[in-house]
Amino acid sequence: MLDLRQEPALHDAVTALTQRLYHEARLLDEERFEDWLELLCEDVSYHMALKSRRFRADRSAPIAVGAGNVFNDNFARLKLRIDRLRSGFVWAEDPPNFVRRVVSNVEVLPADKPDEALVHSVVVIHRNRIDGQTRLLTAGRTDRWRKGGESWFLAAREIALDHAVLPDSNVNVFF
Amino acid sequence: MDVAGLIDTSTGRQSRAIYSDEAVYRQELERVFGRCWLFLAHTSQIPKPNDFFRTYMGEDDVIVVRQKDGSVKAFLNTCTHRGNRICRADRGNARSFTCNYHGWSFAPDGALAGVPLENEAYFGELDRSKFGLVPVAQVAEYKGLIFGCFDPAAPSLEDYLGDAKFYLDVWLDALPGGTSLVGETQKMVLNTNWKLPVENVCGDGYHLGWAHAGAMMAVQSMDLSGLSVGNSSANLEGGLSVAGLNGHMALTSLDGVSGYAFYPEPKPMLDYLEANRPVAIERLGKTRGEQLWGSQINITIFPNLQFLPGLNWFRVYHPKGPGQIEQWTWAMVENDMPEQVKATILDNQCLTFGLAGLFDNDDGDNLAACTEQSRGWRTAQMDVYTNMALGRSGPREGFPGDIAAGLVSEHNQRYFYRRWQEHMQASSWSEVPTYNLNPLASREAVDA
Repeated sequence: MLDLRQEPALHDAVTALTQRLYHEARLLDEERFEDWLELLCEDVSYHMALKSRRFRADRSAPIAVGAGNVFNDNFARLKLRIDRLRSGFVWAEDPPNFVRRVVSNVEVLPADKPDEALVHSVVVIHRNRIDGQTRLLTAGRTDRWRKGGESWFLAAREIALDHAVLPDSNVNVFF
Repeated sequence: MDVAGLIDTSTGRQSRAIYSDEAVYRQELERVFGRCWLFLAHTSQIPKPNDFFRTYMGEDDVIVVRQKDGSVKAFLNTCTHRGNRICRADRGNARSFTCNYHGWSFAPDGALAGVPLENEAYFGELDRSKFGLVPVAQVAEYKGLIFGCFDPAAPSLEDYLGDAKFYLDVWLDALPGGTSLVGETQKMVLNTNWKLPVENVCGDGYHLGWAHAGAMMAVQSMDLSGLSVGNSSANLEGGLSVAGLNGHMALTSLDGVSGYAFYPEPKPMLDYLEANRPVAIERLGKTRGEQLWGSQINITIFPNLQFLPGLNWFRVYHPKGPGQIEQWTWAMVENDMPEQVKATILDNQCLTFGLAGLFDNDDGDNLAACTEQSRGWRTAQMDVYTNMALGRSGPREGFPGDIAAGLVSEHNQRYFYRRWQEHMQASSWSEVPTYNLNPLASREAVDA
């Protein structure tokens, strides 16, 4: 039985999950989207909320209907984005942009379910675009990974984008 | 500078210099953004006293503040002492705005309320009444949309909008509960001249089936005036390109449902339209209630406000020099919608025209490259063209404006550039022509 509160299990999980994050980043860098989908649970939730700059003391009510999202995706919707990227009609990606992800600050914690782990990480996405200019996108991620057999699968990812104004003309990338 | 030679609306020619020339841009800040009514905020974004929202008018940073009496004031977001920005937050609620530099504080009505060491250092001789925040000359609201204008000599907002209100009301007045903008502001930097995204939305149905082919393949769920992936077809009977309204435009389908064509699962939206159609017809008349409400209808208010009922995005472009903008987007809802329908709209707007929007993410690079291809020594001397369907417009029964058939035309773009040229050539509002072409004969015609 997996118990991340136990030292050897946690140690093994940290190694396995860190490798999983690196592997995931490489799949995405190489646009192996179908292989990336294999890392996701069928009930995956993939989310990045919109936010605004507020005074610390501000106590005004939250926005009715919600803040809105950059990503509010389940498995089917991630697949829909990939269908678009694979359509051959996404001109902003042809020729391909040079994209490289740096994943760091990996921290593994026990989750509230015994077969899951909570994983914090930071991702920096380097994009050298068709115009020759480089954009860097930085985000924090809080994931839930689920153990299935000998592997870990992504069950949920909450992404905090660190840009008040997106410094690029599209987000044709996954975080 | 004289821009007479830079635009020829009779042939649909524009000099590329209008997208890159620094002198043209400085004149735009004065004669377009310094003169026209500009969208500031929706009333739903500042519902309570002391609620504020920060935005731009041209490159000028502006705070919009709800007053105690319910009215709205707008001020330049700059301290009257040394010029520092006084409000650094995007939105919120504040009893006062205090400058970081020396601690001057301003009340929500703009009055200078506090000056540290006023007696000791200014010897009590500072006339506070002369140092309040500088107000925007005119602020007015049209059915929830708050606009500001720097020019005290500008016509009233009602006159400025003119017959474009016929189309605006399709969203603003279809149902009794009014409208709201929802969600946080979706902000994106695009390396484009500000006019290019405006013309892209105001009339360019031509690019849809090509630039957005990948997105259309992914989510299109119903017909949109025959437009199809790969630009292989278009049904010119299925839509209207409407211009000749003081620089404002509409580009609309006529089926009353295709606003929701790019919802992967449009059924809840179509159910909503069906349930509320009788009310919309009662309020807007048969023509608008049946043919426009629910249709894909791109509306442009000159110079930089655009929104699409149906796809439900609402957007302004803030210029940041000739070659850059910030694009700000919100989701738009009717207040009478059930909460679930509002949530679906916010979700789908973010999916299609948000920061990671399947459609929106196709446009930025095209607009940036068009801008870049106007900056070279040689390209700056070249022209570009909006000469599709020249001379093929006229009146259309039941709709105000000079109208060309279909969503694929460059009719609207020509009127956009005509208006731009009229403003750029005029030294004051008194030299700017007013035209609302082919007005409806009477109010009864609207309701017939």
